[in-house]
Amino acid sequence: MLPASATTALTTLALTGRAPGEAICHRDGRVVTVGQFLAQVAGLAALLPDTGHAVNLCADRYAALVAFAAALLRGHPTLLGAQPGAAAPFLRMAAAHYAGAYVLADASALELMRPELAEVPLPLLRVDAAPADGTAPPPRPIPEGRIAAIAFTSGSTGTPTAHAKPWGALVAGAAAAAERFGLRAEDGPPTGIVATVPAQHMYGFETTLMLPLRAAVAIHAGASFFPSDVHQALAAIPPRRLLVTTPLHLRVLLAEGRRPPPLAGVISATAPLSREMAEAVERDWAAPMLEIYGATEAGSVASRRSATEESWLPYPGTRVLPGAAVVPGLGEVPLGDALEPLADGRFRLLGRLADMVKLGGKRASLAALNHALLGIPGVEDGAFVAPADVESNPAARLTAYVVAPGCTAAEILGLLRGRLDPAFLPRRLALVAALPRDPLGKLPLRALAALDRDQELGAGPAAP
Amino acid sequence: MTTGNATTSAAEFDPALEADLARLIVGALSLEIAAEDIAPEAPLFGEGLGLDSIDALELSLAISKAYGVQLRSDDERNHRIFASLRGLAAHVARHRAR
Repeated sequence: MLPASATTALTTLALTGRAPGEAICHRDGRVVTVGQFLAQVAGLAALLPDTGHAVNLCADRYAALVAFAAALLRGHPTLLGAQPGAAAPFLRMAAAHYAGAYVLADASALELMRPELAEVPLPLLRVDAAPADGTAPPPRPIPEGRIAAIAFTSGSTGTPTAHAKPWGALVAGAAAAAERFGLRAEDGPPTGIVATVPAQHMYGFETTLMLPLRAAVAIHAGASFFPSDVHQALAAIPPRRLLVTTPLHLRVLLAEGRRPPPLAGVISATAPLSREMAEAVERDWAAPMLEIYGATEAGSVASRRSATEESWLPYPGTRVLPGAAVVPGLGEVPLGDALEPLADGRFRLLGRLADMVKLGGKRASLAALNHALLGIPGVEDGAFVAPADVESNPAARLTAYVVAPGCTAAEILGLLRGRLDPAFLPRRLALVAALPRDPLGKLPLRALAALDRDQELGAGPAAP
Repeated sequence: MTTGNATTSAAEFDPALEADLARLIVGALSLEIAAEDIAPEAPLFGEGLGLDSIDALELSLAISKAYGVQLRSDDERNHRIFASLRGLAAHVARHRAR
């Protein structure tokens, strides 16, 4: 670990070094300037409590940016991870473990999450209700060591593990990404970003909240989930356009077949992108297909041009070790993958550590999922199994084998639903008489695969 | 929020399309249930059938391929469209290429 020296602890970094007239956001066909943004941030910051932790639930990306900046200026870490439709467990965790936790939401988030918010009574502030008029004093610089955000991964016990992000580390990461992808002011005209990843995911947070603060980037604020949303969003912003997305979205966008407007680049992360998909983007969309390797713990660590490069180039200032990355502002951070550093400073990704699965951009350990399963009343034994194609199929899902006499698959699934992120809910839940454990209590993969062939699978009627 | 049933007009109710769409959902999402076991009024997402956003994306692709209908986030009827099989069928009926 690199200890923070006394001098860095006193260093401050501005919220944004950008000029007031520059575009920071494209929203409803109009440009929001840095100056307008800062006025809005000051208006919201004045409404926030003196101390606390902000749960940022904003669905509109501009609202999410205003909420993050206002909390940061007041010294409140933003808790990243709650997402529409699955926010209840996250909100309960925030209420239990973070002093003065409050929710920052916009109109669309409230509409999506009303039942969840009713269940967890945290104080709620409307981001879009804050006054945006008047001239705001320029925001004071922020100490480098201030915790700006806290991201979460599911730990091996099922309890989320918190990863604190000091402001200095986030700024260094944004600067490195801007240099790598040509997004600095000196690199050319400003870049508009359309992203299919939520701002509450670490990858989406870095690319769509940190980059517009620290690089010559304007984000598209509106919906960008379905293919039609993405095409419409890209058409609504001027070049240079950058699409920030995932293999899951790319697969659907490519299969749908519509060609987007000219793109300066496409960036993918959260799961390995196949060479075929990378080539298809380069060929069909005539855009460089870039891939980021990163993790919630370390943030973005490296990138490659996936159609032509197998190895990864670490971000400027970042160094990799066989199972860890040394990241500016964070020090040495263990990773969930085995890496092989190469002589030229690049590295090869050797694969995930066996226990980890990644689905829908989220990572969990199978041990944690099994722990949650065994915590369900009536479940005597059980195991989650990832399909063989979990690395290559962006839409892959888990199977669970469960020993629970007297319970139905639907009952177990219903109880799991409140305890797991939906991405990890088993698509198949097979009720079996016993798991094929070996004398050591371990579950050989081959024996589990044999279960598939031999057992009548639970849940529904015969498989197709 | 409105319920799918109360707001789906008789003209949009098409049992054949509903059955068709149920088969499409089961096939596109590799669900372990039979198409006829999807209750037309039950929620597709969260409780009920238990679909999530990854499924929503897959489903948008399958529906676009099969019916030429594009799903959009900013459709103000989204709550109804995704509320149930019946709501989705009504949306497809309204927008499919003739």
